[in-house]
Amino acid sequence: MSKHLPLTGVRVVNFGWVWAGPVVGQTLGFLGAEVLKIESAARVDMTRNLPPFADGIPGPNRSLSNHACWAGNGSVSLNLKEPEALELALRLIATADVVVENFGPGVMERIGLGYERLREARPDIILFSMPAAGLYGPLEHVRTYGLSLTSLTGLDSLVGYKGGDPVPVENAFSDPYAGIFGAFAVLTALNHRRNTGQGQHVDFSQQEAVMQMVAPAWMDYALNGRSGGPKNNEHPVAAAAPHGVFPCRGDDRWISIAVCRDEEWQGLVAAMGSPEWAATADFATLPARLARIDRLHAHIAQWTRDFDDRELATRLQEHGVAACPVLNVGDLLDDPHFRARETFIEVTHPLGFRETIYGAYVKTSRSRPDVRPGPAVGADNERVFRGLLGIPDADYERLVRDRIIY
Amino acid sequence: MTPISRAAPSGALAGIRVIDFGQMVSAPYCAKLFSDYGADVVKVELPEGDAARLAGPFPGDRPHPEKSGLYFFHNTNKRGITCNVAHPEGRRLFLNLLERSDVLIENNLPQRMRAWGLDYATLAAANPDLVVISITPFGQSGPYSGWNGYDLNAYHLSGASSRYCGRPGEMPLEHGTFSADYFGAVTAAAWGLAAVYGREQAGGGQQVDVSCAEAIAAAFVGGQNIGCYAQERRFDKRTGVGMPLGAPATILPCRDGHVWMLALEPGQWNGLRKVMGDPEWASLEMFQDMYSRAQNADVIYEFIREWTLQHGKMEIMEKCQAAGCPVTAVFTVAEAAAQPHLQARDYFVDMEHPQLGRLKNLGAPFKLPACPGGPERPAPLLGQHNGEVYRERLGLTTSDVRGLAQRGVI
Repeated sequence: MSKHLPLTGVRVVNFGWVWAGPVVGQTLGFLGAEVLKIESAARVDMTRNLPPFADGIPGPNRSLSNHACWAGNGSVSLNLKEPEALELALRLIATADVVVENFGPGVMERIGLGYERLREARPDIILFSMPAAGLYGPLEHVRTYGLSLTSLTGLDSLVGYKGGDPVPVENAFSDPYAGIFGAFAVLTALNHRRNTGQGQHVDFSQQEAVMQMVAPAWMDYALNGRSGGPKNNEHPVAAAAPHGVFPCRGDDRWISIAVCRDEEWQGLVAAMGSPEWAATADFATLPARLARIDRLHAHIAQWTRDFDDRELATRLQEHGVAACPVLNVGDLLDDPHFRARETFIEVTHPLGFRETIYGAYVKTSRSRPDVRPGPAVGADNERVFRGLLGIPDADYERLVRDRIIY
Repeated sequence: MTPISRAAPSGALAGIRVIDFGQMVSAPYCAKLFSDYGADVVKVELPEGDAARLAGPFPGDRPHPEKSGLYFFHNTNKRGITCNVAHPEGRRLFLNLLERSDVLIENNLPQRMRAWGLDYATLAAANPDLVVISITPFGQSGPYSGWNGYDLNAYHLSGASSRYCGRPGEMPLEHGTFSADYFGAVTAAAWGLAAVYGREQAGGGQQVDVSCAEAIAAAFVGGQNIGCYAQERRFDKRTGVGMPLGAPATILPCRDGHVWMLALEPGQWNGLRKVMGDPEWASLEMFQDMYSRAQNADVIYEFIREWTLQHGKMEIMEKCQAAGCPVTAVFTVAEAAAQPHLQARDYFVDMEHPQLGRLKNLGAPFKLPACPGGPERPAPLLGQHNGEVYRERLGLTTSDVRGLAQRGVI
């Protein structure tokens, strides 16, 4: 398989930190771009101090989740409080196509790297900014975590048990979502630049991008004035029944079952051994099943609870029913499907330890990325400052000594 | 690759020709990202139409194939044609269209594409430069690739719900929407657009195989959990609380709804204390750092809840934000729609649809100042552009098109 990845030759300078910004760069990196994180030992990115650490030994170069989220990226270290470091950053940006950042609005200007300044360094530069709620507007300075950003979109109001309060999703789905989405936005800007020669400053509001996921409920609001609420696992626009997860044998084992079409319902009934209740008019059609969905789900839960989740999934699939075991984290590494697709891979970090990270989670038929774990702080300093920018040895050593390159 | 010359480029993706052969959410949303940013997207529907046309939501809950909100949202800026690919002549037309396209976006189960004679090898033979973006719950390879599945199955296969969504002992939950389909759609858009942008670099067209379950299992669940599990064989499950390691980090009820209560760092915690009027309990030793607060979560959440229940969510959000504390109101969909911030940013766009009339739609998901995107034209009616597209793309005459319709090909 060819190593000729589609974005070979594109250079990205990434000021991203925590999770969403890094994933923009990581995605472009998977696709062949050269991505360089600019960071500093003077103020270490918080994800570098996120446990667990390789072999249990803490250290900014040993955080396992950091190595996953920064896979394939390079790192240069610059203490940007120093004017000379800022100049070096601008020299690097002059060689780049894209600059990525996920600070709050105005932060890039404050550190001397606003869009106008970047344009002086490189007139057709693409600056990609992804603050929580966009670069302007009454909420421009809103403080959120990825965890809670979804509350501003309406999405959180839809998650939970039927008739109950919203249940918080316990990690920031919006971070990798907005990160990958951001890579698409960067590519649109690159395509426009190819068409016209023109760079631009992309205003990516995480709130607005994530709110697109609310579309099914949004349309019900726009058309009927209804504002939805939590409803277990029922279909987002009530077009399938059953549609839920049901208990299986064992501790916290469940199976997901979704029935959209009549043939699937017939398959499910057959798999259940055609119980009497399922043959009644009460459940014969989709509208009838939707009208009695709680009763329907109770009947099915009664039937599923004695089965092993995987065996039952296989049996239902043999009847054409969309059914899958509900996996937990401990199932993922051994799951035959994810193993076959090499979703998770073991790699050797340059510091010598072995670790497991996720690999190319999209399979492209022509080229396969060579996935390397996220970099140590400043891992690419020599290559970039001496090699790419051509800084003479003596100057380089002084810059390191003076903690400009730091 | 040489620049695509065009007198007046309209939109960032001007010059890219896309065939959308998807249904429901994942492929149509991916294709919408292309069409809303300027690509020429032709949606090809089977004669019975995209399943979303039957899914709703419908005005007044009265089903009508031209009035589905789900269909409307995911198909803006596209032209729509019908083609019965199960008919030999229809299959030929479809392949002819692909010969003149840059991208195919589809989300049919792999066995369905094979049954139509439209497996990737056939598509690549018809057009070696074609980028085929295939989005399915489980992907094109692996033991589950032949399984039937939907968004729900993909999400729950990823580990996301067991770990992050629901209360212990109760059923794990989906994420309130088609979250696996959307995650797969944006993933496919990013990887797929890269394959188009770098087509010469990569040496031609290729298949971009996106499994919605795998994308979430890797980039969401895997990023933060797999390293730990592989190394220590230890993993966590949902708590229903929010963040179990630090507190407060949860959703709490207030007088008129809910707030996302977050105050972890010392400055944030002090901000919250101030807004609450410095209650006596807040100075207790066990509440002075986020870890010990989490160890005493039951107690502290009871105290804070007593306070939040007496106040409105917008008031809590405004005061906490002003005090440096990242508390946000949990907006309902109606409240999100009324938000001055989103209105000031022109996020909502008024659109006109021949059957649905005038309605307020969500606008562009991100702003490109040099080449604004976003929905402008409504989703097509079934077969609306048959004449136009078949004539323009394949050089057919009006009577050819009429004949195809009479023979049930389109």
